[in-house]
Amino acid sequence: MDRRHFVSLLASVGGLAAAQRGLGKTLDLMAEATAPAFESEIGGAQELARYPQKTDLILLTDRPPQLETPLRYFESELTPNDAFFVRWHLSGIPTSVDLREFRLEVGGHVQKPMRLTLSELKTRFKPISLVALAQCAGNFRSLFVPQVPGGQWGSGAMGNARWTGVRLKDVLEAAGVKAGAMQVGFRGMDVPPMPATPVYQKSLDIDRARDGDVMIAYAMNDAPLPMLNGFPVRLVVPGWFSTYWVKSLSSVTVLDQPLKTFWMDKAYRIPDNPDANEDPQHLAAVTVPISTMPVHSIFVRPEPGETLRAGEKFVLKGVANDGGSGIRKVEVSTDGGGSWDEASLGSDLGKYSWRTWQASWTPPAKGTYRLTVRATAGDGQTQHTSQWNRSGYQRNVIEHVEVTVS
Amino acid sequence: MSVSYCRIFAVVVGAVTGVFALAAQSQQATKSNAGHDASNPVHAIVLPQYAPEISTGPNVDTYRKYCLVCHSAQYVAMQPRFPQAVWEREVKKMIDAYGAVIPEADQHEIVEYLVAVRGPSKSR
Repeated sequence: MDRRHFVSLLASVGGLAAAQRGLGKTLDLMAEATAPAFESEIGGAQELARYPQKTDLILLTDRPPQLETPLRYFESELTPNDAFFVRWHLSGIPTSVDLREFRLEVGGHVQKPMRLTLSELKTRFKPISLVALAQCAGNFRSLFVPQVPGGQWGSGAMGNARWTGVRLKDVLEAAGVKAGAMQVGFRGMDVPPMPATPVYQKSLDIDRARDGDVMIAYAMNDAPLPMLNGFPVRLVVPGWFSTYWVKSLSSVTVLDQPLKTFWMDKAYRIPDNPDANEDPQHLAAVTVPISTMPVHSIFVRPEPGETLRAGEKFVLKGVANDGGSGIRKVEVSTDGGGSWDEASLGSDLGKYSWRTWQASWTPPAKGTYRLTVRATAGDGQTQHTSQWNRSGYQRNVIEHVEVTVS
Repeated sequence: MSVSYCRIFAVVVGAVTGVFALAAQSQQATKSNAGHDASNPVHAIVLPQYAPEISTGPNVDTYRKYCLVCHSAQYVAMQPRFPQAVWEREVKKMIDAYGAVIPEADQHEIVEYLVAVRGPSKSR
C-alpha cells in the first residue's frame, strides 16, 4: 500500500473533525516522513505483510503481530478468515499446537474441575453457531483528534464471521459452578516476554458468562480458526469489543471475587459515560472497563480517492453495527448533512452481526462532495458528532468520506 | 585453489544452503497454509520476518537494548509525533505496567531517543 492510499483510507472513515484536522495532521505526518531519517519507519508502518494462513494485510507491527484488514474486504457480509485482522498483546504468541496435548482447563470455584480435549469439547456439548462482529476496542484510533498513543489502526481492526462452538454456559454447568461465584476469568496460551509483564487475562461477570450467547468457538466461517486468530479455540463474547474474545483459550476459571489484573483494572477502560467521551484538558475521574459496542457505520465504497462520474449512478456501500440490538436504519447524506436518505439494508445475519447497506447516488455535477453516514440501532441508539478519549477507544462518531466527481 | 576461488565457493555454498532453507521454510508455510489437516494433530505456523529498519538517533543502542526485547520497533515507528511528556509517560508505563526493567539513567536516554525520532517536528 502506498502512502497516498493509506492517507485515503484514513480519509474514508474520517469524521468531519478528522477530515479537517486529523487528516491534515496525518498528511503532515506523511509529509514529514519523506525526510530520509524517517522514511523506513513510516514506510514500514504502511506496508502489506503476508502471514501464514493469511492474505496480504496492512502491517501495523510484526512482533507481536498486528495486522489490519484492507477496507475492500468489508464489501462482503462475512470477512474471509485469511483477511481477518490480527491483534496480539504479548510477543510470546502460540505458533504450534499439538491437539494430542491440548487441554482446556475449567476450574476455580467449581465442583468438578475439567481438562477437556478439543474433541471432548466438540462431542460432549451441543454445538451452536452465530454471526458476530469482532472489533478491537482501538479500531479507528488513528482518527482521534488530538491523536493518542497506541496501535494506529484505521478502519480494519474488525471482521464479521460465523462462529461455531459450544456455549460457555453449558461448559460451566458441567463443571458445577459453586454458590458465590462472581466472575469467570480467561487466559490463553500467549506468554509474556518479561517475568513482570502481566499475563493477558480478562474476566466476565458470571451473568454475562452464563447468558447462553458467550461461546467457546472452534470454527470461524465453517473452518478451523487460523493460528493467528486463536487456534484451536477462542472465546466469543458477542456484542462486546474483542478484547474479551481471548484467543487460543487455555483456561476458564470461576472466581468468587473480581479478577485482579492489569488488563481489567488499568487497561481497556473508558470514561464512565455512554459516549466514552472526555476532554483532553479535563480527563474523566471515573473510568470503567470497556464492554458493549455502540452503534456505528462506515463507508466501504466509494473507496478513498475513488473518482466518481457526474451523471452516472454509483452504489454507495458500507457496514453498520451495534452491540446486540441490531440495526434499524442507516441514512446517507450527499450534501454534507443537509438532507438524509435512507439506505437499503443487506441480509439480517443476526443481532450481533454487522449489517451491510447500500444506496444509489447519481452525482449531479463535477466537484467535491462530502458523503456522510449515520445509523440507528434497534434500541434507538444513534451516533454523535464528536468524541475523544485518552486511549482512542470505542470510536462511533458520524463518519464522512470526501469524494471527487469528474 | 586460490583464496578468491575459496571465497566464491563459500558464497555459492552459502547461497545454495540459503535457497534450500528458504524452500524448506516456504514448504512448511505452505503446509500450514493448507491449514488444518484433520489427520495431523500438530498445527504449526512459521512467523515471517518483517522487522523494520531502526531509525538512527541519540542513544539508539539504549532503545534497542531495553525496548526491542519485548516488541518490535514498529511500536514506535507507527506513532504520530508526540511531545516529550507523552513519551515520558509511555516509558513509565512500560516499566510500571508491563514490567520492563530499565535503570533511571537509561530511561532518560530512551526518552531522548523517542523525542528525537518521534517528537514534535520542530525538534528536528
